[in-house]
Amino acid sequence: MKYNEDRVILRMSGITKRFPGTLALDNVQLVCEKGSVHVLLGENGAGKSTLVKIISGLYSKDEGTEWYDGKEVNFANVGESMDAGIGMIHQELSLLPERSIAQNIFAGRELKNGIMVDNKAMVKKSKELLDRLGLDYNPNTLIKELSIAQQQMVEVAKALSHDVKLLIMDEPTSSLTSKEIAKLFEIIDRLKQQDVAIIYISHRMEEIKQVGDYVTVMRDGQYIDTLDAKTAGMDELIALMVGRKIGNLYNRTYHEPGEIIFETKDLTGLRFRNVNIHVRAGEVVGLSGLVGAGRTELAKAAFGFDPVEKGTVSLFGKTMRHLSPSKCIKAGMGYLSEDRKTEGLLLPMSIEENIVEASLGKFFPNGFLSRGPEKEQGKKYVEELNIATPDSSKAVGELSGGNQQKVVIGKWLATGCKFLIMDEPTRGIDVGAKSEIYKLMDDLVAQGYGILMISSDMQEIIGVSDRVYVMFDGEVSGELERGEIEQQAIMRFAVGGKRGGNEA
Amino acid sequence: MKRKFKLAIPGIALFDILLYIFFSFATENFFSSYNTILILRNSCTLVIASLAMTMAIMVSQIDMSIGSVISTAAVMVALMVNKGIPVIVAIIAAVAMGAAVGAVNGILIAKFKFDFWVVTFSTMSIMAGIALVISGGETIGFQNEFLDWVGNGTLPGGIYWVIIITALITAFMIWVERKTNFGYNMFSIGGSEVVAKNSGINVPLNRFKVYLFSGILSAITGVIVASMTAAGGPTVGSEYGFNAMAAVVIGGTPFVGGKGGMLGTVFGTILLKILASGLSMMGIEPTWQKAITGVIIASLIIIDVLNEKRKVKNGLRRVYHDVEK
Repeated sequence: MKYNEDRVILRMSGITKRFPGTLALDNVQLVCEKGSVHVLLGENGAGKSTLVKIISGLYSKDEGTEWYDGKEVNFANVGESMDAGIGMIHQELSLLPERSIAQNIFAGRELKNGIMVDNKAMVKKSKELLDRLGLDYNPNTLIKELSIAQQQMVEVAKALSHDVKLLIMDEPTSSLTSKEIAKLFEIIDRLKQQDVAIIYISHRMEEIKQVGDYVTVMRDGQYIDTLDAKTAGMDELIALMVGRKIGNLYNRTYHEPGEIIFETKDLTGLRFRNVNIHVRAGEVVGLSGLVGAGRTELAKAAFGFDPVEKGTVSLFGKTMRHLSPSKCIKAGMGYLSEDRKTEGLLLPMSIEENIVEASLGKFFPNGFLSRGPEKEQGKKYVEELNIATPDSSKAVGELSGGNQQKVVIGKWLATGCKFLIMDEPTRGIDVGAKSEIYKLMDDLVAQGYGILMISSDMQEIIGVSDRVYVMFDGEVSGELERGEIEQQAIMRFAVGGKRGGNEA
Repeated sequence: MKRKFKLAIPGIALFDILLYIFFSFATENFFSSYNTILILRNSCTLVIASLAMTMAIMVSQIDMSIGSVISTAAVMVALMVNKGIPVIVAIIAAVAMGAAVGAVNGILIAKFKFDFWVVTFSTMSIMAGIALVISGGETIGFQNEFLDWVGNGTLPGGIYWVIIITALITAFMIWVERKTNFGYNMFSIGGSEVVAKNSGINVPLNRFKVYLFSGILSAITGVIVASMTAAGGPTVGSEYGFNAMAAVVIGGTPFVGGKGGMLGTVFGTILLKILASGLSMMGIEPTWQKAITGVIIASLIIIDVLNEKRKVKNGLRRVYHDVEK
C-alpha cells in the first residue's frame, strides 16, 4: 500500500504486546493519513482493540515503534494521548450513569474558571457540541435516563470535545439505529474535511466501503494486509479475515410452521402497549424496529422479568398467570438477553457450570450439586454446539464472543425449552461465528423449536427471519410474511408508517 | 437557577426536618434552642469524620483507620499539652500524624494496588495500638485555654465555636467536592474506574488524595474531640468508623460510590444525633435506642431504594416519548 508521506500522521511498526499466556499482538503495523479513514478489520480476538488501546495509552507496547505527528511517542496514559490530540470512542459504553451529559463530556478535563470548575461553561459548551451533532438533548440530563443509542451519541460528543487530530472509533455503530448511523457518517465526512485522521473498527462489512479509505486486516494478533477500501472485494476481505472461505452468511431452510407456541394478547407494560404477536414451532420470527421502540422491554416482560400492566402471554397453548422467569422456564421458554456478559453468563465460572445454571432443579433433584451430571452436560453441549474450547471446565470469560453466545444457547437448551427469545444474538460477534450461530438457529427450528429474534441489524432480520414484526413507539406497527421481507418495508414500519397507508 | 438549588439539597434533609418535628411534639423538652444547639454540637466531630468517610466511599472504598487516627490524635494532643509544648505545635503534630497515616494508606492502595480493606484495617489496628501504648492505656486529662475555647467556647448567642469551625470545614470540603477537578474526579472514579481511566483521569493520584484528606480530617476530629472533653482517651475514636459509614449511607452516598456527596452526609449525621437526643428524651433506654436507630436507618434506606426505582421507571417512560416524538 502506498501512502502519501506528507499526510501521514501515525506510523506504527513492529508492535508486539504480550499478556500473560498469550501473544496479543505480533509485529503489527499501521499507518494513518490525515483526512482519511483507516478501517481495522478482523474477527474478535484478532487484536484490533489491543492495538488502538496502545495508541491511546491504555496499554503499553512491549516492542515496536510508534511515530505520531512527526515524533516518536510512547503514551503512558490516556491523559497524554488526549493532550496530543488523540480521541477515542470506546466499544463498551464509557459513560458515568449517575452524572449529567455535560459532566460526562468533560469528565477528567473539566473546564475551569481560575481554580474552580465552571459548570455553566461546561453546560454551554456541551450544548454547542450536541447542537453541532444535531442532537437535541439537555446537557443536564443524567446518562442513566438516556437510551443506549443516545448514550453512544454522547460518547461521540465526548470524543470531539477537545481538538482531535486522530480519532479512534471502536465499533461505534454497534448500538446505533440507521438514522444515527447516517448522522455519524456525516460527522465522519466533516472530520475528514478538517484533516482529522480516523481509525475505524467495525464488524459490519457494508460499512467499510461506505466510510473507509484504507482497510487493514488483522487475524490472531498478526498483521495480514492493507487494501484500498474502495476497491477491495467483500469476499476477499472475509477470506483474509477468517483465513478460510465461508459460504453464504445466511443459510436458511424453510420449514412448514407448526402449532402456535407463544402468543401475546394485548400485552402492555413499561414501554410497549397492546402487543399481539405469536410464534409457531419451526419458525424464526424477527422483531425489528429502532432502538427504543420497546422490543427488549417487550421480551423481558413476556419472560416475566419486568412487570406487565395488562394483557396475557400464552406458552404452548397455556395462558400464563403471574408471569415470572422461573415459571416461563418451566413452561418451556428461554431468553437470551441483549447483554450476555452481565445478564446471560457468569464469566468467572466454567462452561459446564454455566450450562447447568438455569436447570439446577432438573439435573440435581435432591438439591445437592455433583460434578458428574455437570461434566456430562458440559461435554454434551460443547460437542453439539461446536464450542471451541479444549475442555468444558474452562472459564466462560476466556472464550470469544461467539463461543460465549453458544454457551448461553446451551444453557437454555439444557433446560429443555422449546421456545427461545434471542435479543441481539450476534451483537459484537465476528462474521465467522455469526454464520455458525445462524446455522444453529436453523438447526433448532428444524427440530421444532420456535425462535423470536430481536435484532437491530437489518441484514440479519432479512436474512434469518421467516416472518417479521416491526415495532414503533411501543406498538407493533407492521407484520411481514415470508416473501415480503425487505429493507424498505421494514423501515417504513419502523418509523411509524402503516401498511398501504389506508389501514390507519 | 432555581432548579440548581433544588438539586443541591439532598432528600435526606426532609427526613431530618420530619424527625425534628416529630420529637418536638412527642417530648416536652426537645423543641428548644438550647437542645437544638446541643444536637448540632454533638454532631460536630462525627460530621468531620463522616466527611472523611464520604470521600473514601465516594471512590468505592472504605477508610477503616478513621477511628484509630481520631484516638491517636486526641492522645497526642493531651500528652503534648501536658508536657508544656505550645498548643499550636501539638495540633500541627497531630494533623501531620493524620496526614502521614493517610499517605501510607494512599500509597499502599493507589500505587501498590493493595486491597483497601486490608490496608486500612491494618493501619486501624496499628494506630489503635499506638494510641494505647503512648497513653499507657489511660485517658489523659489536660488543661489548656485555647483548646477549651475551641471545644466549649460560645458566641454571645450561645452558639458554640466548634459548630462554626465544623461549618467552615464542611463548607470547604463541599467546595472541594463541587468546584474542583479533584471533586469531579471522585465522582468519576466511583462511578466507574474504567470510565475514569478512559477519560484520562489519573486514578491512583486521586485515590491517594482521598486518603490523605481522610487522614487529615480524622486527625482534626481527634483534636476537637480532645478539646471538647479536655482529655485524650486511647479508645475515644473506636465507634467513629461504623457511625461514619452509617451517616454516609443514610446521607445518600451508596457503598458502590459515584453519587451522593458531602452535604447529604452532614444531614445523615445530624439525623443520627436527632434520633439519639429525641429517643433519650422520650425516656427510652440506651439499649433499646440502638435497636430503634437500626430500624429507622433500615426503613430510610428501603424508602430511598424504592424511590430510586420509581424514578428510574418514570425516567424510562419519559425518554421513550422523547426519543420517538
